[in-house]
Amino acid sequence: MNRHFILSATIAQPELNNPAWADSVLNGADRAGIDLAVLGAPGSLPFDPMVIAAWAAPMTQRIGLVPCVSTAVAHPFHSARSLSAIDFLSSGRAAWNPIAGAGHDNIVAADMVSAARSLWDGWASDALIIDKESGRYLDGSKVRLSNYEGPHFKVRGPLNAARPLQGHPLLVADASAPFDVAGTDLVILEEGQAALPGSNCLKRAGNSPDLAALVAEFEAGEIAGVHWTLTNPGDDLREIAEFSSALSRFRQARETGSTLRERLGLPLSDNLISEGAFA
Amino acid sequence: MTKQIHLWAFLQGIGHYPSGWRHADATPEAVFSMDYYKSVGQLAERGRFDSIVFGDQLQSRGANGHTPERVAIPTLDPIALLAAMGAVTEHIGLVATVSTTYFEPEAVAERFATLDRITGGRAGWNIVTTAHPASAWNFGQDEMPEKSSRYARAHEFVEAACELWDSAETDGNAVPVQYRGQHITMDATMPGPALPQGRPILVQAGQSPDGRAFAAATAEAIFCPAPTKEDGIAFRNDMHERIAAAGRDPEAVKIMPGLSFILADSEEEAIAKDEAILDLADEALCIEYLGESIGFWLGGHDPKEPIPFDDIVAGTEFPVADITRMLEKPAASGIALGEFASRHVRTPRGHTVFRGTPQQLADRMIDWIDSGACDGFTLQPAYMPGELEIFVDQVVPLLQKAGRLRLDYPGPTLRDTMGIAA
Repeated sequence: MNRHFILSATIAQPELNNPAWADSVLNGADRAGIDLAVLGAPGSLPFDPMVIAAWAAPMTQRIGLVPCVSTAVAHPFHSARSLSAIDFLSSGRAAWNPIAGAGHDNIVAADMVSAARSLWDGWASDALIIDKESGRYLDGSKVRLSNYEGPHFKVRGPLNAARPLQGHPLLVADASAPFDVAGTDLVILEEGQAALPGSNCLKRAGNSPDLAALVAEFEAGEIAGVHWTLTNPGDDLREIAEFSSALSRFRQARETGSTLRERLGLPLSDNLISEGAFA
Repeated sequence: MTKQIHLWAFLQGIGHYPSGWRHADATPEAVFSMDYYKSVGQLAERGRFDSIVFGDQLQSRGANGHTPERVAIPTLDPIALLAAMGAVTEHIGLVATVSTTYFEPEAVAERFATLDRITGGRAGWNIVTTAHPASAWNFGQDEMPEKSSRYARAHEFVEAACELWDSAETDGNAVPVQYRGQHITMDATMPGPALPQGRPILVQAGQSPDGRAFAAATAEAIFCPAPTKEDGIAFRNDMHERIAAAGRDPEAVKIMPGLSFILADSEEEAIAKDEAILDLADEALCIEYLGESIGFWLGGHDPKEPIPFDDIVAGTEFPVADITRMLEKPAASGIALGEFASRHVRTPRGHTVFRGTPQQLADRMIDWIDSGACDGFTLQPAYMPGELEIFVDQVVPLLQKAGRLRLDYPGPTLRDTMGIAA
């Protein structure tokens, strides 16, 4: 598959609490061709992004839902369950952006990721049998304890939620609130920051971004796409829609593929799955 | 005006019988899809239910590290589920079970504020303190705090959350809230706007003296078991006394006992249908169910041998005294493990079980309401979605015809629907 030029946007306005506003902006973003809606922003969470992402699951069609998850108020057991639910309810469009909360450092955010992964990996993707005839609901040998113990979090498992459709929801990091964990799917660069070798980077778009220059960086493999922060959704979405059509030759994947990972060409790598767990 | 009946739909993914998912009209695969929740949410709304309720556990089913293959049904996080259902329904309330023991008040306050706002004022909170010891291990603890201390924390937790909701100003100015209790220390702000309902409806379900005291002080609706009408009357009278003693208006608190039901065209058919569903729970399934409910994996034990009492007491994950009390007598009687387990699964969890025709059920519900046994019912379909469809299509019109159930919703919020002022 040809690489897909990713269009991503942060939506952090407090109006996301308002169903009419949220419906109009999230569906506008979906129609504009945006692949990822990052809900909330580091240090500013005027609503619970996980609740907004769940609400948006049946309201939108293709857009990836990326709640920011602050370690100040979240625990991996709750986060892993919420994200599993959002992944199922959105037919595989869940992602997340963990951020260190007040008083926490980035090690805690990385620990949150590892703990959540260990919980998802406690369930094999084929654990559920659901055979009415034999009465077997699941294969018990395909569900295991996590017994995870990290620098901050400790969780035994197993999760009382099945493995997400995508295996793990897409992991997005924001370079302005970085954490270091293997297998981060996408990194949103800071304004003016150079691309990080070996990572799928999203370049932050300033005013009137230079399309030709971005295409050159994309073709050279330096960036995976562009990230906006919506300040004036009406105008911003029109600009992004124009961008999307100008880039249509790099944007075939949007209409195909069933899960977000498949559409964006970011499969879950086998070596990400916790030791002793299942593919 | 004749007293109206309040209806809640307690929707555990695949119904309330352990074997319900094997029924021909059950769709167990569907419980991981949005289409299913959209259709059952709209079904309950068509039945003019006040609310949907989801229970919750903070541990996987199983014991001693074993996951039972027939009863370990994975569930979806209730708040995520209800937020998604809120997007595809217009009126129905959304009551989520959330523990005060394994969350922090600012996180819970934020979640419910968002749920209430994004659904236009339809959120309710079933406040639980979590009793399963295996939950503690998922939150880095070796053991669960003892019961009265969990309830003491719950009191402070709800108080702190309410202060935070009350602080949300319509003009968007966030007022810092500082809460200092024995169990909760919270410094937080809740940016506006104010919640459409002011606060989510506060629901409580505990039965112990600690639970009843907590409900009397806080709850606006109570979910409880009432095996008979007389039990319902006694419970409601007791709660009314406690609520009045706590300085609140008893009539403002809705008592909503659980009601399991199996409906058919005649009473005989309903009983036969019930037996057939229970028979889907074969001996092996019953043993897994028992093992899960006593915190001890029974997989290696012969169903034909007596209950392995000493092994269970030595190995249970639950408080030994509770398990001893439960199993002492049956173990002494020499009953075989398989036989005991098959009986255990037939014992409802203290909720009334109705088997009969739609007309009989409608009459029974009206009689309970008029006798002062309750203000409404928390319906627990044995299997899903088939049994709930029968209720909505056949019992709801009878209740409406009798003038006991609304034909339409009175207003946009769950408080409007329940008739509970903020």
